[in-house]
Amino acid sequence: MSGIKEIFTIIQSEQRKAVLEHEAKMILRKMGIIVPPSTLVKTKEEAIEAASKFGYPVVMKLMSIEVIHKTDYDAVVVNLQSEEEVKSTFDDFMNRFSSVDVAGVLVEKMVGKGLELIIGTNTDPTFGPVILFGVGGVMVEAIKDVVFRLCPTTQPQALQAIEEIKARVLLEGFRGMPKVNKEELSNLIVKLSELAWEYKEYIAEMDINPIIANEDGLFPVDARIILK
Amino acid sequence: MKARLEKFFNAKSFCVVGASTTPNKPGNVVAYNFVNFFPGKTYLVNPKGGELYNNKLYKSVLEIDDSIDAACIIVPARYAPLALQECGKKGIKNIIVTTGGFSEIGDEGIKLQQQMLDIMREFEITVIGPNCLGLYSPALGYDTMFLPDSKLKRPTNGPVSIFTQSGAFGAAFIDQLSRLGSGKWVSKFISYGNASDINETDSLEYVGQDPDTKMIIIYLEDFKNGREFMQKAREISLKKPIMGIKANRTETGAKAGASHTAALSANDVIVDDLLNDAGIIRVITWDQLEDCVLVFGTQPLPLGNKVAIVTDGGGAGVMASDMVSDCGLALAKFSAEVQKKLDDTFPSFYSTGNPIDITGSATAEDYRIALESVYDDPNVDSIVNICIPVIPDLDIEEYIKITKELAKRKEKPFVTALVGGEEADYATAELLKDDLPAFESPGRAVRALGMLTEYTKHIQKHGVDPRSIKVED
Repeated sequence: MSGIKEIFTIIQSEQRKAVLEHEAKMILRKMGIIVPPSTLVKTKEEAIEAASKFGYPVVMKLMSIEVIHKTDYDAVVVNLQSEEEVKSTFDDFMNRFSSVDVAGVLVEKMVGKGLELIIGTNTDPTFGPVILFGVGGVMVEAIKDVVFRLCPTTQPQALQAIEEIKARVLLEGFRGMPKVNKEELSNLIVKLSELAWEYKEYIAEMDINPIIANEDGLFPVDARIILK
Repeated sequence: MKARLEKFFNAKSFCVVGASTTPNKPGNVVAYNFVNFFPGKTYLVNPKGGELYNNKLYKSVLEIDDSIDAACIIVPARYAPLALQECGKKGIKNIIVTTGGFSEIGDEGIKLQQQMLDIMREFEITVIGPNCLGLYSPALGYDTMFLPDSKLKRPTNGPVSIFTQSGAFGAAFIDQLSRLGSGKWVSKFISYGNASDINETDSLEYVGQDPDTKMIIIYLEDFKNGREFMQKAREISLKKPIMGIKANRTETGAKAGASHTAALSANDVIVDDLLNDAGIIRVITWDQLEDCVLVFGTQPLPLGNKVAIVTDGGGAGVMASDMVSDCGLALAKFSAEVQKKLDDTFPSFYSTGNPIDITGSATAEDYRIALESVYDDPNVDSIVNICIPVIPDLDIEEYIKITKELAKRKEKPFVTALVGGEEADYATAELLKDDLPAFESPGRAVRALGMLTEYTKHIQKHGVDPRSIKVED
């Protein structure tokens, strides 16, 4: 996949292990994975332009190697409905993070509510790259409803994994929620497993969490990659 | 490519290095085994020279003129590197080192094992061990298990191959199988100990392609080559059932990482999912393994998960039904024909649903009618035959006869649970004598069926017909 190795090489040359969200999403796009439309902006004007291009509501996230756990720092603001709100959020970010090395602000089309899923990868000391699928969101570590496969995984294996989570009934259109497209979901698992396998020299861990499944499809709304 | 273990099992000449003249010493037992049972040529080596079991004791392998295909080194650890080196010079390429005192004992042993590794590389030797029982195959007359037959009884030739990281587990399990039913169970047994060279993946590869191995039992504590093991298991499990224990379940928790995924990556959680993906049936307790041998080794695979239960005790039937749902099985709904027959035949106080409860009034004839009816019902995939033999009108000999006839038809899996005291034990023993699966509790019987059905589900998912896989003769 052209360009992915280059992105990792640049990040490594900057002596960092954390891949910023906008970089991670660029990598996902290069793997042919559809992510919500987003642009990294440096100025208020660019932010407004991006927001109006995507259409409201939008989400704004501060991109900085010093702010990796963004929600802990209120560096993610969701559901921005107007140009006014985009402007004031941009100003607020610049004020609060004035002493931080900021790469920019990611303006992203907001994805509607849906079921939150996780796909992640890790480097197991025994088995090498493994991929995880399960119920996502902020409580993923408490709920622990996940299943592992070796990377790279095949689509039949991924489909089987999807059937193995305890809460699989959630994928079938639970209480009015839309049905999850398992074909598409298994494709996503396969592609991410290929990413982790293909670039195992670089990638240590990866969280795509949450992936929102709603009536419009599957959307990776946050992506975290940690390099070796 | 040929599996590396093939050269061990196919050896036409074998050398016991460290053959001992002291009865029951490891070097004495292995010499005895090969001299008496190995159809190829056996050579014995002991630096003192002399004679043992009418065979010359060579002072060194280098004195032997013939070429030697495989050898077993049974000398104290500190002499093992020298013995290995001499074997290397002699050109022996396949060597079992049973001796302990290597990496398992710490620094000193690690150094010795490293010395061995260097010699192995220099002479391109394949090694099993150290710290193991080595290999056993009754059909091939191949036996490096250094415990005398008076203590460790040997099962005879059968469909099951076993490989184990732990020698003690292996010895106990082999001994156990020798007294399970006819004792005709074992094809190949591999105990690879410290896995300095041959490991779990080599063992799996060998038994996977071995035509005499119909089912595979494993005992592992860790993996040397986990990724390849899982990949091979995924293919082999579609041809032969693989089941076993991966112990050391609490060894390592997840390491805190920067991601949720790392935090959720507890070693055993991953192992469990990967074993499942590879189609390996994981069991937790020792008794389950014996149950696996009994049920996989003697019964056909079910075509589905619908179970019929016949019982003379309500409580036993309820407990069996609970286990049915715990094991991913379901109670069969009898066909109209069978249901009518049961309703017409039995008195109204018998319960003719599933479980069929023929109550404390049951006779052997009642068992025959109930069991034969459900056996022949196309809606039934497997049968659980429960008997509490304390009831007055039951002729136990007749019951045993009926049970044997059905369990030997082998069109569907048929398991029996006999609950109670002396008479239950007697009937269980009678069934086991004929290698028919009989258990001491309904739960254990259903669980055994559950494992059999789990395997059916696995292969069906991959488009394999359970009728194409035969473990039992």
